Amino acid sequence: MSVTSDEVMRIAQLAELRVDEAALPDLASQMSRILDYVAQLRAVGAGDHVKPFIPGPDTIRFRPDEVNPWPLAFGPDEMAPAFKGGFFLVPRLGAFGAEDAPGEEA
Amino acid sequence: MSDAVASARATAERISKLRRLNAVLTKQTELRKALLAQAAAARPTGVLYGMPVAVKANICTLEFETSCGSHILEGYRSPYDATAIARLKAAGALIAGATNCDEFAMGSSTEHSAFGRTLHPLDKTRVPGGSSGGSAALVAAGAVPAALGSETGGSVRQPAAFCGVVGIKPTYGRVSRYGLVAFGSSLDQIGVFGRSVHDAARVLSVISGRDLRDNTCEDRDPLRLPTVPENLDGFVIGIPREYFPPDLDPGVRRACERAIRILRELGAAVREVSLPHTPYAVPTYYIIAPAEASSNLARYDGVRYGPRAEGSLADVRALYRETRGSGFGAEVRRRILIGTYVLSSGYYDAYYRKAQQVRALIAQDFRNVFDRGVDLLFTPTTPTPAFKAGAKLADPVQMYLSDIFVCTANLAGLPALSLPIGRVKGLPIGGQLIGPHFLEDEMLEAAYALERAVPAAEEA
Repeated sequence: MSVTSDEVMRIAQLAELRVDEAALPDLASQMSRILDYVAQLRAVGAGDHVKPFIPGPDTIRFRPDEVNPWPLAFGPDEMAPAFKGGFFLVPRLGAFGAEDAPGEEA
Repeated sequence: MSDAVASARATAERISKLRRLNAVLTKQTELRKALLAQAAAARPTGVLYGMPVAVKANICTLEFETSCGSHILEGYRSPYDATAIARLKAAGALIAGATNCDEFAMGSSTEHSAFGRTLHPLDKTRVPGGSSGGSAALVAAGAVPAALGSETGGSVRQPAAFCGVVGIKPTYGRVSRYGLVAFGSSLDQIGVFGRSVHDAARVLSVISGRDLRDNTCEDRDPLRLPTVPENLDGFVIGIPREYFPPDLDPGVRRACERAIRILRELGAAVREVSLPHTPYAVPTYYIIAPAEASSNLARYDGVRYGPRAEGSLADVRALYRETRGSGFGAEVRRRILIGTYVLSSGYYDAYYRKAQQVRALIAQDFRNVFDRGVDLLFTPTTPTPAFKAGAKLADPVQMYLSDIFVCTANLAGLPALSLPIGRVKGLPIGGQLIGPHFLEDEMLEAAYALERAVPAAEEA
């Protein structure tokens, strides 16, 4: 399984991950090596009758439907890089913020 | 001065003297202050009163940064304690700092930490294993009697074997995952390191049991510790032939053969068994774990917590990409890309679905053996002793293969432990016991007996 630099870039976009162009050939080579290795699973005879194994309880256990005390020692205002008036601040979405100044926070 | 205060001071002193190992990420002054504050508040009636327990940096504590060994969470402080931490504190234990680890627990050597590698306590040119290498090194060096780590594919047992300490991975669902930073949610469990089986088991007993905050945690009482048995009469121990391949390190093989002889001498019936899908465990794991990681790590985007990429960013997607691209290290980026790839349209059936089916076959292998009267399995924990730093960094697949004997228990959700069974050229070798779901007590009984009989400090 050979992964191209273009495919790595497409996957990186899906994963919202910046990848330097200079690093693409190495990443493509490493991903190809890993995918070649895991491709050996194709040799295993496991038809559709094999039910996936999921560990843990067989049934979902529901919690009591009650309001509990706030469990956190401090709020998101102390954790978030930018927080104001109860909202997390982020730059505008590019597609909707074209008429606004770049980088203006909404 | 109370016993707990004396313990806190002595612990801070011991950890300070071991700074060269780079096993602890917490600053010395902060650690000492936090230990003393906890000692002052510790309940003298707690079963772990005054016992220092170090904690891997991916388990949330109010006292210390939960960086996960990553720049993307550098400086992050959790607003709550993990359930395991809350239970340790309630039992009087002292949380003794955040330990170094591979970034987001992705690695087998602790070389993938954003804060530098941890050194092996016996040979600084070697790795302590990973991903919970800081916890293992700290216990092995005698700084703390026990530490918490996390297991997704052997990240407690493998470093325990490399460092010569005991490492326990409980059954999936035995210990709450609330407050354990998620990597592979169907695989992750908090595990325990100890200087001895008893130390590790005591801590496991305290942190186990039902928790309404984690729906994957089983509705069971905390683990009750077994007594130390006189012998292993009545135990049937299986030796899976797939765990003794021709290329197994000769020293590891000798140590295991000696341990098997001792198991027989203790009265156990030992029989060879087969787990035929074992060779497919590593490829299965390296599809499922990255797939789950790519989803779990989507939350780190520079919006709600952790640092945000500097500079003027045109829009929110640029913010995400820049923050994630600069905040994650190379191994985490690689696994996110693999995980996204195997879940993407056109590849899901060929990779992810297939891996889920093979995982079921691996779990069935274990059920078949346990259903035929085998109580426990004994195997080597790792194919080799601790390897040299840098030896496996260039080829990720070679690094992944160091988990070949440990990741099966995670895939099947089984309890397993590693204990020291000898040395080869001075380096510790670990032997592994694997048990059926929720039969940790039987596994611990056998471990107690083997620990007492095996000359773990002698060359095999």
